[in-house]
Amino acid sequence: MKPQEEIRKTRYKTYALVWMILVILTGMTLSVAGMELGGWTVLIALAIAGTKSGLVLNYFMHLRSEKLLIFRVIIPLVMAVFLVFILLTFSDLAFRGGVK
Amino acid sequence: MDETTAFALEGQKDATGARLGMWLFILSEILLFGGLFVLYSAYRYKNPVDFHHASRELDVILGTFNTIILLTSSLSMAASISALQRGQGKLSMVLLAATMALGFLFLVNKGFEWGMKIEHGLYPNSPILLARAKGEILFFGLYYVMTGLHGLHVLVGVCVLCGMAMLIAKDKMNQMHFIPLENAGLYWHLVDIIWIFLYPLFYLIS
Repeated sequence: MKPQEEIRKTRYKTYALVWMILVILTGMTLSVAGMELGGWTVLIALAIAGTKSGLVLNYFMHLRSEKLLIFRVIIPLVMAVFLVFILLTFSDLAFRGGVK
Repeated sequence: MDETTAFALEGQKDATGARLGMWLFILSEILLFGGLFVLYSAYRYKNPVDFHHASRELDVILGTFNTIILLTSSLSMAASISALQRGQGKLSMVLLAATMALGFLFLVNKGFEWGMKIEHGLYPNSPILLARAKGEILFFGLYYVMTGLHGLHVLVGVCVLCGMAMLIAKDKMNQMHFIPLENAGLYWHLVDIIWIFLYPLFYLIS
C-alpha cells in the first residue's frame, strides 16, 4: 500500500513547483541557444533536457516512489541499450574514412 | 488472512502489474523515438552547417510556445489524477478537459507551422527543397517525420484522455478505481518528455 499512499500525498503544490522549474529551464535552454558557445551549446541543451525529463519522470510519473526493484532496473537497462546504439553508430561514422 | 485483505492485496498487485505493463510500453516507445534520435545525430554530425541553416527557418517562438503548452498540460494531467484519487471527480474531469484542450492547441500550432513551411514549398520531395543542400533536405525530412510521429502521439493521447473523461463521467473510474487514468497520465507525460528533446534539437541549433 505504501507507494499508493505516497503518491496520493503528493500535493498540487509540488506539481506546481515542478512545473515552474520546468518553465524556467525552458527559458534557460532558449537563452543558452542565443549565446555563442560553439560545441557546448548542444551539450548544455541536452543536459537541460535531461534534467527536465528527470523532473517529469520522478515527479509527474512518480518514478521516485516506485518501490519495486524492477522499476529501478528496466529504465537504466533501456538507457544502456540506447547508449550502445549511439556508441556503435558514432564509432561507425568516425572510422568510415574516405566514404562520405 | 481474511477474505477482504486478500482481495485488497490482489487489487494492489493488479495496480503494480498494470503500471509495469505501461512502463514496458513506454520504454519501447523511447526506443522507437531513440532510433530516430540516433539517425538525427548521425546526420547532424555529418552536416552541421546545413542543419544550422535549416534550423534557422523554424519558428522559435512558436516552438517555445508549444513547449510551454505541453509542460502545462502535463501539470493539469498530474493534477487531474490527484483530484480523482481524492474523490473530486468533477475537478478531475475539468483538469482532463484542460489537458485535452492544451493538447489540441499544440496540434493547431503544429498545423500552422507545417502549413507555413508547406506554403513556402518546404515539404518532403518538393522541388524547392530538393534544390537545396543535402543536409537541409535531411533536416526537413527528419523534422517532418519526428514532429509528425510526435504529433500523432499527441492526437492519440487526446483521444485516450477523452475516453478517460467518459469513464469518470459514467463513474466507471473513481476514488477507488483510477488505474487507467494513471496509465493514460504516464503516456501523456512520455509525449511531453519526447517534445522536451525535440524542441532544442530542431529549433535551437546555433
